[in-house]
Amino acid sequence: MTRQHWLYGGLGAVALVGIWVLFVGLPRWYPPAGTETTAAPPTAATPGDDGLVNATLFYISDDGMRLVGFERPLARDADTAAQARIILEAQLTEPPTPLLSPIPLGTELRAFYMAGQDAFVDLSAEVTLGHSGGSLEELFTVYAIVNALTTNIPAINAVQILVNGNEVDTLVGHVDLQHPLERNLQWVADPNTAPSPDDQTDPL
Amino acid sequence: MVAVSQLAASFDLTIADTPQPGRLTLMRGDRIIVLTANEGLVSVAGQLVALPSPPLERDGEWYVPIDFIGSAVALVHDEPVELRRRSGLVLLGAVRVPQIVARYQRSGRQSRLRLMVTPATEYVIEQDANRLVITLDADALDLELRDVRPDPLVSGIQGVDGSPALAIDLRENFGSFAATTEPALGGAVEIVIDLQPRPAEVTRAGPPRTPSPGSGPGPNATPGAVAVAGETGADAGLPVLSELAPRRAIRAIAIDAGHGGDDIGTRGPEGSLEKDVTLAVAQRLRNRIESELGLRVVLTRTGDSTVSLDERAAIANNDRADLFISLHANASVRETATGAEVFYLSLAEYGDEARDAGFTGQLVPTVGGGTRVLDIVPWEMAQLRHADQSARWAETVADELSLRVPMSPRGLQQAPFRVLVGANMPAVVLEMGFISNPDQEAQLTSTTFQSSIVSGLLRSIIRYRDEIASEGTPVAPRDAVPPDATGRSR
Repeated sequence: MTRQHWLYGGLGAVALVGIWVLFVGLPRWYPPAGTETTAAPPTAATPGDDGLVNATLFYISDDGMRLVGFERPLARDADTAAQARIILEAQLTEPPTPLLSPIPLGTELRAFYMAGQDAFVDLSAEVTLGHSGGSLEELFTVYAIVNALTTNIPAINAVQILVNGNEVDTLVGHVDLQHPLERNLQWVADPNTAPSPDDQTDPL
Repeated sequence: MVAVSQLAASFDLTIADTPQPGRLTLMRGDRIIVLTANEGLVSVAGQLVALPSPPLERDGEWYVPIDFIGSAVALVHDEPVELRRRSGLVLLGAVRVPQIVARYQRSGRQSRLRLMVTPATEYVIEQDANRLVITLDADALDLELRDVRPDPLVSGIQGVDGSPALAIDLRENFGSFAATTEPALGGAVEIVIDLQPRPAEVTRAGPPRTPSPGSGPGPNATPGAVAVAGETGADAGLPVLSELAPRRAIRAIAIDAGHGGDDIGTRGPEGSLEKDVTLAVAQRLRNRIESELGLRVVLTRTGDSTVSLDERAAIANNDRADLFISLHANASVRETATGAEVFYLSLAEYGDEARDAGFTGQLVPTVGGGTRVLDIVPWEMAQLRHADQSARWAETVADELSLRVPMSPRGLQQAPFRVLVGANMPAVVLEMGFISNPDQEAQLTSTTFQSSIVSGLLRSIIRYRDEIASEGTPVAPRDAVPPDATGRSR
């Protein structure tokens, strides 16, 4: 083997190490804050060994016509109501681009309580005042909250949304909020059209 | 080919006296046409015009293709000249001769005549004994009849001599007709005339169904039978809610213009308000239903007023509407979201309540003494009885709209919409488009788009009405007590 061959071999090895660092090492050392998932998360939030739980939250897709599930690591709490509050607070925050929040920004969680398997989520008035007013958007708002709780916490079967402590017919004139609503993934992206797991970074 | 001497006489053209070999000059005033034998290009008033085939000179006579009239003569004539190759008509002057392509279709027991009229022309339809006469506001008709064959309702279709009219010769089985008008491409309009057999024909054709014991009333059952079934429900099991809806003829349509008053709904980027769009479409739809179908229309609001969701359903219930449609415009935080969507009530959200509530009749005293059984309908249960028919009505609406306006990828959906819950008749919500999308905002506020929506809804009403009419004898008005706005049920 000539000196030139040794030189080429060395350069190739350095290149391979660089590629590994770029595409494997860095994502492991500096994991992203969340991971977009396929549509129908059938199981509850996944607990980890580090006091965190992988919860699926729901945001508006880039075409505006669907909700997409998005996994985020959240603090774990053994108490169902406390865990629900953590999930709701996360759902109310802005998602990473290009996703958009289905809940008007500025909306706050005023209270949360449970009665049996029904959860009651009391939101501030911004949820209606800051709303675009469209029925599809209203469906997204309601079912982002309902699905975030019912998907991640098996103890919650249905969710009723209150505004400023009061029962309301609807948020902005469409979706019936007079009773608790069960999980409904009708508006969540079809798994066949959502990004495949191969396209995503490694889950936590 | 046509002889130039004939054209010259017909269109007042002058043939130049100084003939040149292989060249002919035509004049009308100071405008000149120069023909060259075997040359496809003709000089017309200083322009070069291409002909489909070159002029020919034979034995001193010149011949040109028929298109020469439209492409050359029309350019030098003072009055409009139009050549219609299909019909062989040449129109000279400002005459109104709409082209009419008539297609005749037979579907089940009904027949449909579709008239594509170019350009759009006003018309009236009159029934004269055993003829329907469609008279257009024109000087004459350029009529083409396609697929027209006699059938059990119609013995023939032809133009009326000396009149800009089309006549449909009717047979004895003919009962009624309904006409609708829909805008079409190229400034045309399509007149659709549906012909129905006599009601007796319908009744004979649709054999009555016998309700099976304990399964609730069949389609021909009276409302009283509904209540009796409820009384015996303990032995026979509760009937399925959707089977309890009385089947009726379609006589009244409730149109709900979404939002209104303090509730503006959503707002487009140019400032268009959903509440204004919904009211405009509701009024257009009311006018067309009343004038073209002769049905009664119930509007849940006629102006810019605030009406609660439950009150809207209550208005429809109290006025005994047979179909309910709630008009809306959608919005998204994404500007690109587009397309119409039709919703009917999803049952999953109300399934447990429906099972828990049961469904039984109650004995109430009557004015003349004695008692009768009334089915008391809880507000939350009112729409559940019509679940199947609402799905069918929604499917029909989505189907007809998809032929006329852009639909969203999910054109037909179920959702727990409050305005539908208390409606005691088949009911749908129509989101006509996304007003948050600049292009769709312009469409939603345009007459053309609103007319397309209205045409689709009108057609869906006709289809739905005809389908249920052909399935069984309609039942008289319901005895079920409809929920009202104040007591949720009464």
